[in-house]
Amino acid sequence: MTEAAKELRKELLRTSALGRDGNLQSGFSSLEILWTLYDRVLRVTPGTAADPGRDRFVLSKGQSTEALLAVLARKGFLPQEELKTFCQYDSRIAMQADRTKLPVEISAGSLGHGLPMAAGMAWAGRILGRKGRVFALVGDGEMNEGTMWEALLFAASEGLNRLTVIIDDNGSIGRLIDMGDMRAKLEAFGFETAVVDGHDEEALAEALSAEHARPLAVIAKTVRGYGSKTLMEDRSWFHRYPKEEELPALLAEVDAFDSGKEAVR
Amino acid sequence: MRKAMVNAVSAMLRGHEDTALLLVDIGVWAFRDVLAAYPQRAKNIGIFEDGTVSLAAGLSLAGVTPTVYGISPFIAQRALEQLKLDFVYQKTGGNFITTGASYDFSTLGYSHYCPEDVATLRLLPGMEIVAPGTPEQFTALFDACWNDGRPTYFRMTDHCNQTRAAVEFGKAAVLRRGSRATVIAAAEALDATLAACGGLDVTVLYYTTLAPFDGETLRREYAGGKVFVSTPFYEGSLTADIMQALSGRPVRLAEAGVPLEVLRTYGTKREKDAGLGLDAPGIRQRLESFLRQ
Repeated sequence: MTEAAKELRKELLRTSALGRDGNLQSGFSSLEILWTLYDRVLRVTPGTAADPGRDRFVLSKGQSTEALLAVLARKGFLPQEELKTFCQYDSRIAMQADRTKLPVEISAGSLGHGLPMAAGMAWAGRILGRKGRVFALVGDGEMNEGTMWEALLFAASEGLNRLTVIIDDNGSIGRLIDMGDMRAKLEAFGFETAVVDGHDEEALAEALSAEHARPLAVIAKTVRGYGSKTLMEDRSWFHRYPKEEELPALLAEVDAFDSGKEAVR
Repeated sequence: MRKAMVNAVSAMLRGHEDTALLLVDIGVWAFRDVLAAYPQRAKNIGIFEDGTVSLAAGLSLAGVTPTVYGISPFIAQRALEQLKLDFVYQKTGGNFITTGASYDFSTLGYSHYCPEDVATLRLLPGMEIVAPGTPEQFTALFDACWNDGRPTYFRMTDHCNQTRAAVEFGKAAVLRRGSRATVIAAAEALDATLAACGGLDVTVLYYTTLAPFDGETLRREYAGGKVFVSTPFYEGSLTADIMQALSGRPVRLAEAGVPLEVLRTYGTKREKDAGLGLDAPGIRQRLESFLRQ
C-alpha cells in the first residue's frame, strides 16, 4: 500500500469519527481505484472541473462517497479542512454527494443510476464531438440492478469507446446470488475487459489508461475494508463509525498494514 | 396532437445540434425522417424506460437536451425514481412526452393506463407537468418549455378538445366568468366540462399546466365559495394545490375525476368516460347537484 493510500485511509477514519457515520469497508475497498483515477488517469483539475471537454468521473456506488471526498480534498477540489464538517447539518459533504454543492458529476445514493448516466454522458460527448472520457465506478453488488445491464447493452451496441466501467469487485454479490463469470458476461455484452488487483495503483493506472476500441470494463479485485485488519474481518463495519476510543487502534492498524501478507482474492 | 408533437420535436432537432430524441420503440414510423437525418442523436434505443431516463440525464448533464417519448405509465411510473434522482435531484433539464394519457389505450387494460401521472409527478419538486388539449396547445407549451433547464412532462392525448383556447405555460386560461362556482377543467376534459356548464352561471378555468399550479388565477377568479374540479386524472390529483391556493378562505369542493380504482373495463375511451360519469351528462349531473347544495 502506498503512503498516499495509507494517509487517505486514516483521513477516512478521522472523518467518519467526526461525522459519526461511515461506509468504511466500501471506502477502503475503492480507495486505490479513486486515488489512481484522480492522481494518474483523469484529465481534470480543480481549474478545469467545469470545462465541457474534461474527463468525467461518475461514482455509481455511492457508498464510496467518503473516500471520493478524501481524494477530492487531497487534489484540491475542496478544502482539506472541510472534511471536518462531514455530515453536519449545513455541510456540503455527507455520506452521499450532492452535485449542486460539490464538484462531482452526479448526486448518487441509489444504486443502478450512475452507470446509465455515465453512458449518457459518453453519448453526449460523441454528439458534441468532445474528447473527454467518462469513467464510472460501480460495485459488484450493484451489478444486481437491471439498469446496469441495460446501460451495458446500450453502451456496447453504440460502441461508446470513451466509456470505462470499473467494477469494485469486493465479493459483495457472491453473498447474494451466484453471479457466475463476470468477465465472460461483460465480454458477451460487447465490452473489452481487464482484470486487475484493485489495490495495486500501477496495475490500475495501466488498465485504466489503455487504449480501447470498444467500451472498457475493468474488474478491480478488491477486499472490503482493505488496509485495516478489523474492517476486513468484522462485518459490522459495513455501516458504522469509529468511536473516539477506537480510533487510535484503527489508525495504528492502517499504519502497520502489510499488503504483502494480505493477498487479494 | 401526435403530428404537432412530431413536428415540434423535429423542429427542435433540426434547429439545435445539442438536442437528442430517445424513442423506446414507439413513434418510430412517425419520427422516421429525423431518425434518418440525425442518427447520432435521434435514436430508437429499445424498451427500457428506466435506464433510458438515466441515459437522458447523462446527456443533459453533459450538455445535450434530451427528449424521451414513451407511454404514460412506463415513463411516469416505471421511471419514477429516475425522474426523481437523475433529473430533479441533479437539477437538470429534459423532456418526457407521453402518449396514452389516462386510458387512451382503453382496450389494453390497466397496465397501459395512467390516471395517476399528475398526482405522482407533482410530488417531484421542480418537475413541470403540462397537459395540452389540442395540437396548437402542445406546440405552444413545448416551445415554451423544452429548453428551460427543467424536467418537463408532456402528457399527450389522442382525444383532443374541439374547443380552441389560447394557453400560456404556467397560466390557467379564463374561458368563462360566472358567480355561482369556479369550475376547473384540465386537459382533454374541457369539451365535456364546457358542455356540462351550458346555461350555468359559473366561471370556467382551463388548466394545461398542472405543475407549477397557477394558484394566482384561481384566487382571483374564485366565485361563489365553490370549486368544481373536472379532470381526466384520478380524483384528488389537484386538491392539495387548490386548497393551498385558497388557503384561509372557506371552500366547498366537488369533483368529477377518475375514481381511485383499478379500471377493468375495455371498450373505447368514450365508453369509459360515460361509464365513470365523466361525459357531459355525468359531469352536468354532479355539477348541478353541487350547485344546489
